[in-house]
Amino acid sequence: METLDRPAVRKLMGEVLAVQGKTLPDDDAAKLADIGFRSLDFSELALRVEDEIGDELNFEAAGLRSIETIGDVLDLLVEIQGQ
Amino acid sequence: MIGDNLVVDAGTGSRATWRELAQRSTGPRPAPTAYVVERSIDALSAVAGLKDGGELLVASSGRLDESLAEELRTAGFDVSASGDVQAATAPRPAEDGRVWLLTSGSTGRPKRVGHTLESLSTVTGELAPRTWLCPYSPGTYAWWQVITLGLGVPGQGLVLVDPADLDDWVAPALEHGVTAVSGTPTFWRRTLMRHGAELQKLPLEQVTLGGEPVDQAVLSQVSEAFPAARVSWIYASSEVGAAIVVHDGRAGFPVEWLDRDVPGRPRLAVVDGELVITSPHHGTDASGAEMTGAVRTGDAARIEDGRVLVTGRLDRDELNVGGSKVSAGAVRDLLQSHPEVAWAAVRGRKAPLVGTMVVADVVAAHDSDVTADDLTRWAAERLPEYAVPRRIKMLDEIPAKETLKSDV
Repeated sequence: METLDRPAVRKLMGEVLAVQGKTLPDDDAAKLADIGFRSLDFSELALRVEDEIGDELNFEAAGLRSIETIGDVLDLLVEIQGQ
Repeated sequence: MIGDNLVVDAGTGSRATWRELAQRSTGPRPAPTAYVVERSIDALSAVAGLKDGGELLVASSGRLDESLAEELRTAGFDVSASGDVQAATAPRPAEDGRVWLLTSGSTGRPKRVGHTLESLSTVTGELAPRTWLCPYSPGTYAWWQVITLGLGVPGQGLVLVDPADLDDWVAPALEHGVTAVSGTPTFWRRTLMRHGAELQKLPLEQVTLGGEPVDQAVLSQVSEAFPAARVSWIYASSEVGAAIVVHDGRAGFPVEWLDRDVPGRPRLAVVDGELVITSPHHGTDASGAEMTGAVRTGDAARIEDGRVLVTGRLDRDELNVGGSKVSAGAVRDLLQSHPEVAWAAVRGRKAPLVGTMVVADVVAAHDSDVTADDLTRWAAERLPEYAVPRRIKMLDEIPAKETLKSDV
């Protein structure tokens, strides 16, 4: 199964924001709340990743954690691919 | 004379009157018979012979798999395909005049619904002479509606086009003088997209849409393509017959028609967002018992601007996106109102955090280069954030099942 590396997931995240006329900051520590990246955007990103890898993501494998920054999103989506 | 009504098979160009078709019939078979046919024309001798008795079911070969054939044989049907007859495993005598339909099966296995030629013939009063194009799959309710027009109403000729030949129906329609066409909205969207300006050569007096939800966009496009035609929307099903007929070119039907009792006419109601119909044209269930009382259609209906809009199957129409309710039909209608969209289908897709997300398949209009992102932005200006389709897949052409519905 194909998996996406961190830059590839970052590129998809940028595409989600670009449709809304927003730009993804370069700084992974940027807060999601500050850039207006909300639940629906996260869900869309997950679907984009699923479409790219041709498999469903297993969010139960991620365990409970706080998702507050761009880096948190990227870590999570890279980690749970293939699990 | 009804016997002189003409039937033309567009595929072969062969022509026959109903009288000639009846003469070719070998008469009613002693057992109930399921005729499995490749082409519409192959079923018509048996249909014409029905006036002398017999019990029949017609199905296209594509709709009848082995398990359904076994089910029919167990229910007492001889199954006739290409001249070969497989005898019923539980034989029983034919019930004279009984006609069986298979439902489209969009919500599971096709169900068998019983009718007679009389209960299928819902046209009342005189009709102007017309030549109808019949593009439907043999044996479906819509097919029977057009076939019984030819069989039962003077001056109604038929031109049969089989679903496999639908991409090229305009030329034979012109050649054989078609003046009326009945089709699903999917059929019309495909036609408008594929044939465009060529359609203006067709002198249509009547255009009918049915079998699927109809939105304002397709009604307007059809009216524009055929300015001289009366455009009708018919809500009909195997179970409740032809229950709603609207000719005003607007989507849905007037809200005043709800909860109205008119002798001989169906009673329409909306209960908990579902269209409920009590009809004088009910069929029977598979056991032959008459269906009576109110039938829950399973179709979602909502009231908007004085109209009752039928938006789609209830079990698939309501999506729950993070606790907010979204009508898939309403989102589909919005996408289809975009000037560069030929067709759209909307559904829910499992997604983290919000449970379900709205996604869509879209076919762009001819010569359009509209993108999925363009449509997402356009929808975002018109819908609540949770209802905006976030994943839009652009398809090259409108998918259509054999029943001419695009239920993907």
